[in-house]
Amino acid sequence: MTVDVQYYVLLSMAVFCIGLFGVLTRRNALLFLMSVELMLNAANINLIAFAFYHGNLTGQLFALFTMALAAAEVAVGLGIILVLYRNFRDVDVTVPTTMRW
Amino acid sequence: MAATATGLGFAPAIAVFPLVAFVITLVFGRHLPKKGALPGILATAGSLVISLVMFAAVAGGATYHTMLYEWTSGAATSETMAEGIEFTFGILIDPLSALMLVIVSLVALLVHVFSLGYMNAEGETGLRRYYAELGLFTFSMLAFVFADNLLMAFMFFELVGLCSYLLIGFWFRTESAPSAAKKAFLVTRFGDYFFLIGVVAIAATFGTVGFAGEESFVTAAETAIDDGATLFGFDAQTWVTITGLLVLGGVLGKSAQFPFHTWLPDAMEGPTTVSALIHAATMVAAGVYLVARMFGYYALSPTALTIIAFVGGFTALFAATMAVVKDDIKQVLAYSTISQYGYMMLGLGVGGYVAGVFHLMNHAFFKALLFLGAGAVIILMHHEQDMWEMGGLKDKAPVTYYTFLAGALALAGIVPFSGFWSKDEVLFDALAVGLEQPVILAAYAMGLLAVFFTGFYTFRMVFLTFHGDPRSEAAEDPHSVGWAVKVPLLALGTLAAVAGFVNLAPVAELLHADITFLEFWLDGEYGAVDGLTYHAYHETVAFEEGGIGSETTTMLLSAGLSLGLALAGAFTAHTLYNVPEPSRHTTKLGGAYRVLKSNYYQDEYQVWLAEGLMLPLARAADRFDQTVIDGVVNGISTISLFGSDRLKRIQTGIVTNYAALLVGGFIGLLLVLGYLGGWFA
Repeated sequence: MTVDVQYYVLLSMAVFCIGLFGVLTRRNALLFLMSVELMLNAANINLIAFAFYHGNLTGQLFALFTMALAAAEVAVGLGIILVLYRNFRDVDVTVPTTMRW
Repeated sequence: MAATATGLGFAPAIAVFPLVAFVITLVFGRHLPKKGALPGILATAGSLVISLVMFAAVAGGATYHTMLYEWTSGAATSETMAEGIEFTFGILIDPLSALMLVIVSLVALLVHVFSLGYMNAEGETGLRRYYAELGLFTFSMLAFVFADNLLMAFMFFELVGLCSYLLIGFWFRTESAPSAAKKAFLVTRFGDYFFLIGVVAIAATFGTVGFAGEESFVTAAETAIDDGATLFGFDAQTWVTITGLLVLGGVLGKSAQFPFHTWLPDAMEGPTTVSALIHAATMVAAGVYLVARMFGYYALSPTALTIIAFVGGFTALFAATMAVVKDDIKQVLAYSTISQYGYMMLGLGVGGYVAGVFHLMNHAFFKALLFLGAGAVIILMHHEQDMWEMGGLKDKAPVTYYTFLAGALALAGIVPFSGFWSKDEVLFDALAVGLEQPVILAAYAMGLLAVFFTGFYTFRMVFLTFHGDPRSEAAEDPHSVGWAVKVPLLALGTLAAVAGFVNLAPVAELLHADITFLEFWLDGEYGAVDGLTYHAYHETVAFEEGGIGSETTTMLLSAGLSLGLALAGAFTAHTLYNVPEPSRHTTKLGGAYRVLKSNYYQDEYQVWLAEGLMLPLARAADRFDQTVIDGVVNGISTISLFGSDRLKRIQTGIVTNYAALLVGGFIGLLLVLGYLGGWFA
């Protein structure tokens, strides 16, 4: 038996909303990064679900690209967080506001 | 045309020689003997030789009209539908310019020679600058004279004005000379402003600025009038009058005609040699020469001609009356120059092209003579210019006296000196037209009356300077003058005496002899460019000519009247001032004396115009600029600054807020697109 595509979409939406909630409410930069990962994976679920639904492998292929991208993004993000910590002795994203104007 | 065979191909060298002298003097003047006078003398002598070659070539029937350099050309269509326009440098050698080239280079040469005695011998400083500027001045004037189009003429006209500015302000360490130089520059520039507009108007109307040939604006204007064309909303005749009068603005400024004459008496602050050059052959002559050069254009417009004639006649009388009360010998000459150029304008204005040019030529000789004579007197008097400090110089400086006397007789118009013949011809032409035209009759009457004053002030000057008893120590024991002073005086004295014989119109009329050579010359009997002849002009001028009895009677009457008045003026001066101890006799004039002495308050009202009218106007304009224009600009920038100051506050620097804005914006966009797409319908 197969699961209908709408359940995948619901799952994906739930994961995305959890990620978005994290981005909007958390102050810790590490949690920020995790929330972004959640949103990316929500997109991956969508891609794979629709690829399966259409019987087309392109979506799965793109999911792989997205994973590679996410890995790169984590590397850059963690680098930024390290520098942030070195400068401000904190990973709270509300602290470094001096670069605005 | 065989330009090389007749030597006409050398024409550009006439102007190039003084230019080279200018450069040499400027660069090497310090190391040259005589402080740079020699390059100038050689160059002007060279110019004179080539001018004489040109003169001979034109007498042999050749003319020369060539383009040297094209500035720019375009495909614009003019008001008269002429396609394309070219701005060029070109040379036009015809009877008029050949004659003028000889006059200018001759006077320039003599002034250079005289400068040896006047400037070098007196140990002046800054002579390198002096000779360099003289060279540039001569170059500009010569190039102006042979210009074949209005734009080139305008450029050199301006250059002439610049050189006068430099030379009038030669003694720039004094207080008065720089101010006089500035005044000369500004007043003439005010006139030139109209000239420039006139050049642009003529170029835009006819698509050409050439003086001669089928491609000239004169021909184009004639065609437009014949076709009854409408130019810029005016009929062709009116438009020609308007553009002609605009160009005339420059002429009035340069030739010091009323109301732009105020700069000229002040210009006496320059060295006397410079005054001689400015008054006789260059700056002031440039204006009248321009009218003669484009006479075909003015001939098309009787209104413009009438204005020229009336301004000329008025200026002749106006300036002559002011000369009567001057004490400075150079001031008297300055006002006489204004007056004499008034005669030329009168002559040209009544269509007397030959008379005007004739007087221009004679005036160049006798006024250069008088100024150089005044320079000699100033040397004699140890730099004293007040005539009341002179007297009795007659026996101590005979060469100066007799040459000065020749110039004075010519200026006063006493037969048979040159001034008589030309002034008489101007007045005869004015009378002939005046008998049919009341306005010109008034101009004639003023010109005639001025003859009396001319005779009076001229001989007042001669008697006060040379006759009677010496009235100062300097006059008792005059400084001696050298050959460099005497040679130019003798040369010009001879010319002032005999130059009139080239056009003995009254004698020709009486004897029925063909001896009006200048008329033949300008009429192209020897050689001429088509359309630029006295004949062609005379046919165009629309004035009727009247006469009292026969033409001979009118001519004799006019000549007798002017000669009688000149003699009366001279005789009055003789009775009043030719006594051992002359007195001023100014009380007899009563209130008029103050008015004359103050030059009719011309300077005062012009200063009032500048300070009382233009200055508040300029202040108001400045205020408008500072408040309204700047206010709008500043207001806009203030609003933008204030608005962006408020708007930048949404950038908090907190990533969470940006993310919220992103999400909010996305949702908002989604809702709007959804609403527009009909989700909620």
